[in-house]
Amino acid sequence: MAKPKYTPIRPDWWSKTLAGGLLGFTLGIALSGLFAWLGPGGIDAVNKVQLVMWMVPVPWMITFSLVYLFPSGVHAWLWLGAANLAAFGLLLAARAGLAGG
Amino acid sequence: MRSDVIRVYKTLHTWTGLIAGMMLFIGFYAGALTMFKDPLERWATPPQQQKVAPADWPGAGQWPALIAATLEAHPGSARGFTLHLRPEENTPAPLVWREGGDDHGGGVARGTTLDASGDLVTVESSPSAMAELIDLLHQTGGIPGRGHHYWGVYAMGVVCVLYVLALVSGLVVLLPTLIKDFLALRRGRNLKRFWLDAHNVVGITSLPFHLMIGLTVIVFAFHDQIYTALGQAVYGDRPLFERPAPAPEGAPRGADQLVAPATLLATLRDVEPGFEPRELVYSDPLGPRAALRVGGKSEGHMLRGATRGFAGMDPYSGEITSLDYLPGHEDTWIDIVTAFFALHFGNFGGPVIRWSYVLMGLGGAFLFYSGNLLWVESRRRKQRRGGAPVRQRRATRAMAAATVGVCWGCVAGVSAAMVAGKWVQGLAADANAWYPAVYYAVFLGSVAWAFWRGPARAAVELLWLSALATLAIPLTGLVAWLAPSLPPWVYPRPGLLSVEVSALLAAGLLVLAARRTARRVRQGGADSVWSRAGDQLA
Repeated sequence: MAKPKYTPIRPDWWSKTLAGGLLGFTLGIALSGLFAWLGPGGIDAVNKVQLVMWMVPVPWMITFSLVYLFPSGVHAWLWLGAANLAAFGLLLAARAGLAGG
Repeated sequence: MRSDVIRVYKTLHTWTGLIAGMMLFIGFYAGALTMFKDPLERWATPPQQQKVAPADWPGAGQWPALIAATLEAHPGSARGFTLHLRPEENTPAPLVWREGGDDHGGGVARGTTLDASGDLVTVESSPSAMAELIDLLHQTGGIPGRGHHYWGVYAMGVVCVLYVLALVSGLVVLLPTLIKDFLALRRGRNLKRFWLDAHNVVGITSLPFHLMIGLTVIVFAFHDQIYTALGQAVYGDRPLFERPAPAPEGAPRGADQLVAPATLLATLRDVEPGFEPRELVYSDPLGPRAALRVGGKSEGHMLRGATRGFAGMDPYSGEITSLDYLPGHEDTWIDIVTAFFALHFGNFGGPVIRWSYVLMGLGGAFLFYSGNLLWVESRRRKQRRGGAPVRQRRATRAMAAATVGVCWGCVAGVSAAMVAGKWVQGLAADANAWYPAVYYAVFLGSVAWAFWRGPARAAVELLWLSALATLAIPLTGLVAWLAPSLPPWVYPRPGLLSVEVSALLAAGLLVLAARRTARRVRQGGADSVWSRAGDQLA
C-alpha cells in the first residue's frame, strides 16, 4: 500500500475535546461580544442582549465540531488560543475605544 | 476526503451518538407528544376538576367584582393570580392561583367564581399532572432532582452538545458517498445496509431541524452561564437587563383601583386586532411592582411561548408596558430571538406545522434508535465458517439491552401512565402521584427486563408491551363511553378524540414493529445479538 502523502491527523481525543469545549466557548463569547459592541446599535441597543446570548453557541459548536481536523491536540490549543487572544484583544480595544463615547 | 479525517469523525460520531442517543430518544419521543401539550392537558383533566361549569362562567362585566372579592377573601391570591377568559377542560375556575409551592408548582391550587347572586364561590382543584410529566420527560429525559434548574435540563444540554457533534461528524462521514447514496434505500439480503440507508436518509433530510433543536436546547440549558460570561467579559458594569422601576410612593393600589379587564382588552384590541387573549396573569397585584401579562394566540405569527404570545400591561393605568412579545409588534432584535423559540416550539403554522414537528420528532427518535442498533450490529462477532456459534461481547449485549429497554420502556411508560391516570380517578387519594409512579415503574421495569431476558427476546416483548399499553388508551376511551359509571372519562369532541385515534394508529404501528422484530429474532443468524439463540448464550 502506498504511503499517504500527508501525516495522518492524530486523534488526541482528550486535548482536542477540551480545546473545542473550552476555547470554543470563550471564542463564542468574544465573537458575540464583538457583535454586541460593533454590530448594529452598539452596546446600548435595547433588547439586543438576548440575540447576543443566542449567538454564542454557533461559533462554539462550529469550533467544537471542527476541532478534530487539527493535526494534533497541541495544534488545536495553539491555534484556538491564538484566535481567542486575537478576539479578546479586539474586544478589549472595542470596549476601551467605545465605552467613553 | 482524506481517510484519516473520515476515521476520526466516524469514531466521534459513534461515541457522541452512543452516549447521547438514549436520552435524545426520550427527549424526542416526549417532545413529539408535547406538540399537543395543551390538548393533552385538557384530555387528561377529569370532568370533576371542572369546578365551574362553562354555563356558569361569569361574563366580562363581573370580572372586576370577582377580582375584588377574591383579593379581599383570600390574601394568598395577592401574590398573583390568573384570570381565564373562557372555559376549557383544564381551567377549573375563571380565577385561579396557587398557595404555597414555588415557580415549579406544588402547593394548593385554588379557584374562585361568582354565583348567580354575585357571591364569591371558592373551589380547590388539582390540575392534571400528566401533560406536565410528558413535558418534564421532554426537558430532562426523566432525570429527577433540581437546583435552580432541573439537573436533567443541564444533562440534556450536555447531551445536545454531543448531539451537534454527532450531527456534524455524521455529515462528514457521509459526505464522500452523499451523492451516490442519497435517498438510496437498498432492501437486499444485507439488512444492516437497509438500516444504515434509512438512518442516513432521515438524518440528512432532517439535518436543519436537528441542528436547530440542538442549538436551541444548548441555549435553553446554559443561558444563565452564557449571560454570566457575557456580563463579565463583554458588558462589564452595564446591566444586561433593565428591571422596571417600582411604582412611586402614593401610586394608586387596591382592588377598587384596578382597571377593568374588559377595558384592558379593548386597549389591546386597538393595538393588535389579530391577537386572541386567553388569560390575564396578574403578579403582585397590590404591591409596588404590580404587573399584568396578557397571554394569547395569534394565527400566522411566531410566538415567544410554546403556545402563547404576550403583552405587558400596567393593571392600574391600563397602559401597555411591553410589546416585546406581542406577535407582530416585536422590535427587530426580539423578533429574531422569537424566531428561535418558535422554531423549537413549532407554534407558527397551525396544525400542519405541529404535525410536521411530531413526525420530525418521531423521525429523530428513529434516528437515535437505529443509530444504536447499527453500532450493536457492526460490533457483532461473526460466526466462523462451520464453527460453533460465537458469543457476543458483553458490552455489545449490554448496549443492545439498554437501547431496547430505555426506548421501549419510555414509550410503554408514557402510554401506561396516560391510561393509569384515567382508571385511578376518584379511587386514589392523589391521582396525580400515579403518573410519575406508573411511568418510572414501567420504564425501570423495562430496562431491568431487557437486561434479564436479553435484547432479542426483550425487544419483541417490550414492543408488545408498548403496543398493548398504547392500545389501552382508545380502549379506555371506549369503556368510558359505554360505561360512564366507571372511573375513566372521555370527551366526545373531535379535537380531543384525536388522542384516542392517534393512540390506535400508534398501537397498530407498534404491533407491526413487534411482529417484524419477532420474525428477525426467529430467523436471524444464531451469532446475531438479535437472535434468541444469542440471548441463551449470554
